[in-house]
Amino acid sequence: MDVPVSWLKSLVNYNADTRRFIEDITLTGTKVESVKTFGADLSGIVTGRILTVEKHGNSDRLLICKVDVGDGVVQIVTGAGNVYAGAVVPIVLNNGTISGGQRIKTGKLRGELSEGMMCSIEELGYSRQEYPESPEDGIYIFSKEDSAKYPPGSDAREALGLLDEAIEFEITSNRPDCYSVLGIAREAAATYNLPFDLPEITVKEEAESDIHSMISVSIENPELCPRYIARVVKDVKIGPSPLWMRRRLIASGLRPINNIVDITNYVMLEYGQPMHAFDIDNIAERRIIVRNARENETFTTLDGAARRLDPSMLVIADPQKAVAIAGVMGGENSKVTEGASAVLFESANFNGTNIRLTSKKLGLRTDASSKYEKGLDPSLAYDAVNRAVSLVEELGCGKVVKGMEDCYPYPYENWTISFYPSRINALLGTDIPPDEMRGYLARVGVRAWRADEGDQYWFAEIPTFRQDIMREADIAEEVARLYGYGRIKSTISSGSPTMGKKTRKQNLEDLLKNLMSAEGFDEAMTYSFESPKVFDKLRINPNDRLRDTVKILNPLGEDYSIMRTSTVNSMLTSLSTNYGRRNKLVRLYEMAKVYWPRGVGEFPEEMDTLTLGAYGEMDFYALKGVIERILDALGVAAEYESVRDLGYLHPGRAAEFIAGEASAGILGEVHPDIAAEYEINERAYYAVLFLKPLFEQAVLARYYKPLPKYPGVQRDIAMKVKDDVPVRAIETAIREEAGAILEAVELFDVYKGSQIEAGYKSVAYSISFRRDDRTLTDEEVSEVMKRIISNLETKAGAQLRDR
Amino acid sequence: MKEKLEQIKVSALRSLENIDSLPALEELRLGLMGKKGELTQILKGMGALKPEERPAAGQMVNQARQAIEDMLSTARKRITRKEQDARLAAEALDVTMPGARRAVGHRHPMSIVLGELADMFLGMGYEIAEGPDVETDYYNFEALNIPANHPAKDEQDTFYAEGGLVLRTQTSSVQIRTMERKKPPIKIIAPGTVYRSDQVDATHSPVFHQLEGLVVDHNITMGDLKGALELFASELFGGDIKTRFRPHHFPFTEPSAEMDVSCFSCGGKGCRVCKESGWIELLGCGMVHPRVLEMGGIDPVEYSGFAFGIGLDRIAMQRFGISDMRLLFENDVRFLRQF
Repeated sequence: MDVPVSWLKSLVNYNADTRRFIEDITLTGTKVESVKTFGADLSGIVTGRILTVEKHGNSDRLLICKVDVGDGVVQIVTGAGNVYAGAVVPIVLNNGTISGGQRIKTGKLRGELSEGMMCSIEELGYSRQEYPESPEDGIYIFSKEDSAKYPPGSDAREALGLLDEAIEFEITSNRPDCYSVLGIAREAAATYNLPFDLPEITVKEEAESDIHSMISVSIENPELCPRYIARVVKDVKIGPSPLWMRRRLIASGLRPINNIVDITNYVMLEYGQPMHAFDIDNIAERRIIVRNARENETFTTLDGAARRLDPSMLVIADPQKAVAIAGVMGGENSKVTEGASAVLFESANFNGTNIRLTSKKLGLRTDASSKYEKGLDPSLAYDAVNRAVSLVEELGCGKVVKGMEDCYPYPYENWTISFYPSRINALLGTDIPPDEMRGYLARVGVRAWRADEGDQYWFAEIPTFRQDIMREADIAEEVARLYGYGRIKSTISSGSPTMGKKTRKQNLEDLLKNLMSAEGFDEAMTYSFESPKVFDKLRINPNDRLRDTVKILNPLGEDYSIMRTSTVNSMLTSLSTNYGRRNKLVRLYEMAKVYWPRGVGEFPEEMDTLTLGAYGEMDFYALKGVIERILDALGVAAEYESVRDLGYLHPGRAAEFIAGEASAGILGEVHPDIAAEYEINERAYYAVLFLKPLFEQAVLARYYKPLPKYPGVQRDIAMKVKDDVPVRAIETAIREEAGAILEAVELFDVYKGSQIEAGYKSVAYSISFRRDDRTLTDEEVSEVMKRIISNLETKAGAQLRDR
Repeated sequence: MKEKLEQIKVSALRSLENIDSLPALEELRLGLMGKKGELTQILKGMGALKPEERPAAGQMVNQARQAIEDMLSTARKRITRKEQDARLAAEALDVTMPGARRAVGHRHPMSIVLGELADMFLGMGYEIAEGPDVETDYYNFEALNIPANHPAKDEQDTFYAEGGLVLRTQTSSVQIRTMERKKPPIKIIAPGTVYRSDQVDATHSPVFHQLEGLVVDHNITMGDLKGALELFASELFGGDIKTRFRPHHFPFTEPSAEMDVSCFSCGGKGCRVCKESGWIELLGCGMVHPRVLEMGGIDPVEYSGFAFGIGLDRIAMQRFGISDMRLLFENDVRFLRQF
């Protein structure tokens, strides 16, 4: 919402300069977004009266003018043919600047001195659209009135109405009344506690006829159209509107069209009430019917586009056809053209939500619809239409017909709410006397009074334009903002003491993040949605449950259309980005959710995961080491099972780890085909941990175990086993027979190669024994070792190797 | 014999002067005190002496032996020291060469900022609450006093999912969940991911992060709201920062406010960063709307509260001088390792 400062000041006479004003009104709740200064690129431009015009001796085209510029006479050479002695024109003097900041200097034109330049409207940054009185080709010449008002040497910018600023306000959705110059003026007056009155409107009604004999209005759907007012103007003379009106429109960001259109736009800016003008001759039977559109009804709007309507939309119609889409745009079939005998001004109120939905469905957002969709006060329509026709009279562009057709089945009225000043003070932490509150409320048009002598509660009468004030808390806000938020004393609540603490889950997450840092992994962050195409890309089984996703109905695009059920794609994408940028050694982790649907109408399961991804100086066992470290930190034991059918992981280098009964995660080398899909041309690694089962089983308590008093015994054994025997089978066989004296089993070597026949491998373990009550004897250890070896032979098919 | 012993001592001393390695020293020692050493020979020759001469001779030999051993020991120390000095000199390093570092990981800037904020609020007695990303319309809108067809729903450009669910547009959704779960005193923050359908550019992302705060108790005032948030701002930006509260509108608070902090770029004079206003908008806040308390099952006559919502991404970007939001989601390690 852009409001010209000059317009605002004509309504509220505040003293502050613009910088101060925007600060002050921001602090009472109307936030300023920006300030635009007009004519900032123009300088050194004055009004000048041409005294003499002579031909240039060396040119057929050029003219030499002597010009009175107030503090002297200058000579200016011009090529424009429309100048004459006595004309008052804009002159840019030596060193002044014209549109775009171009500097003009004194110089010689074909030998004759020219001390500046006379300006066309284009050289001042505008066109004949805004200044239709300017010549098609030539110097701008001021009107007689302006010439009288601005003697030579006056600032030409002021004479052209260019010395102005426009303030752009951010209006919140609860204050549709502020989408108007008058609304902003009311807030400005409230800010400075200045008087504010709506302009008085008088309509002379000079036309002979009476509106009721000319037109009738009926509303079929009062829910969507609470009010419809029509007034009629006869003997319409279409032409340009006066400069003051055009300037206000331009400064507000609108383009002047002609007097009738300009009046409707002007009133829309002033009151916030959109208006529309129809050529009355195009309304069949002179009957306006406000009704829902028919199924598949088509309608050509003013912009020439044919639009298909549906019954949720409201149209303005005559008995034969629609003439406008209510609150959005008028039709070609009823637009006002030159020679119209009478014009109908519509000032109506429509349901904001309905206008918003219609505008959205049609993809057609107009100045009118954007006002209506905020939800306007039906009372506005009355003042606005009268204002419009009074402007018609003021501009002399028509004669107003007596009376108005006001269809308003259920009139809105002011309402009354009660409030306790004491409770407002308790809420704000203030001590504002009730009478002072009454003063603040009066500034915004709310009348307040004590319910009864001695009563603690008060009443407030809320005007219809403040539909946001519904209860005591709303009164509190009005009081607080005019009292000043800055004046409310800051306190530290003396409420019940509370303990700031994290939950167990949050603490465990912190633990893991710290651990990941220690392991050299950088923390990543990715989007939670992705493309459904990733499943094929990752070769996820067609009936894998990962493909069952939460779908977004209005995504930004297919790439963001499902909530991810796995983090594989996002992690590989991040690795790929790094690989593409030649980053050599990459380790990433992300703590993020995946989303698994649970059925219609149910919340999806949001599973917290810890995802790891890496390439460069990484291998399966290094990654597994990181996983082991994480599980150790959580005090969780896990079993690792090979998984061969994951599609995106190397079939021989992937494992699932299981903690208790639950799958706790997956780790492995990315399948080379998939790595290639992501344009990673080296071995890449991926792991995911499911935090819920891990956190459920996590044991963080640690207890001291006495350090050993007696020496331990260590025995190393090396054995030959078949290649496909997992070391876990060997370790199990060792543990089964080691008994209570076993302290540790540690794998220290696995060898395949020339020393070992094909199909076999050599595996070496170091086994430690200890008792905590005495020193072990060699015999008892040897006895246990014998049993272990025999068990290894039967269970793992191991053959002991001599070392 | 005495002369002989004296002569051995003198010659040993002379030899030692020229010895500067341990093997040469050992050779000398063997020449004196080895099986065939000069001193050993003399000792062996003692048998030829008369018994009454032996004690005096023995003493003499032992004294000489002791003297020689002392000499040898001194020389050993000298040589050892010298050899060590030489070794240490040879081992000298170029201390200006870079240290060998083990790579450690870096936290994401967002995570760093979130951690700092969480610590501040934990210190002020807040608990950390959580809620789901995929929410119902009820928790995200309706219970927050945003009824169906409220323009705020459009303003927030909601993503809708099947089954009447939405991706939460604000962490405020955690407010109602918290009030349903526990009774006052309530003092929580709820950080989390939120979603709005903004096209991706340097300052917009459809996925971003907020931190919600909610305090509900007896006699909570707007003064308390100001006090808490001013404390937070001075913790976050340092004691010199100025704050201001200006009226705003949120459906779920009344009165509502936005808190600005003085521009860290220009200090409040006005610059491009703060659009010449001298202030930067930091957060939205307000007194919990009585209707929201009611929806949360809390009697608004008995209790009051305040709530606030902070955009974390912007704070992270300001804190680290990050100009493009997309960097936060690319995960280029050259970016991540700067924090």
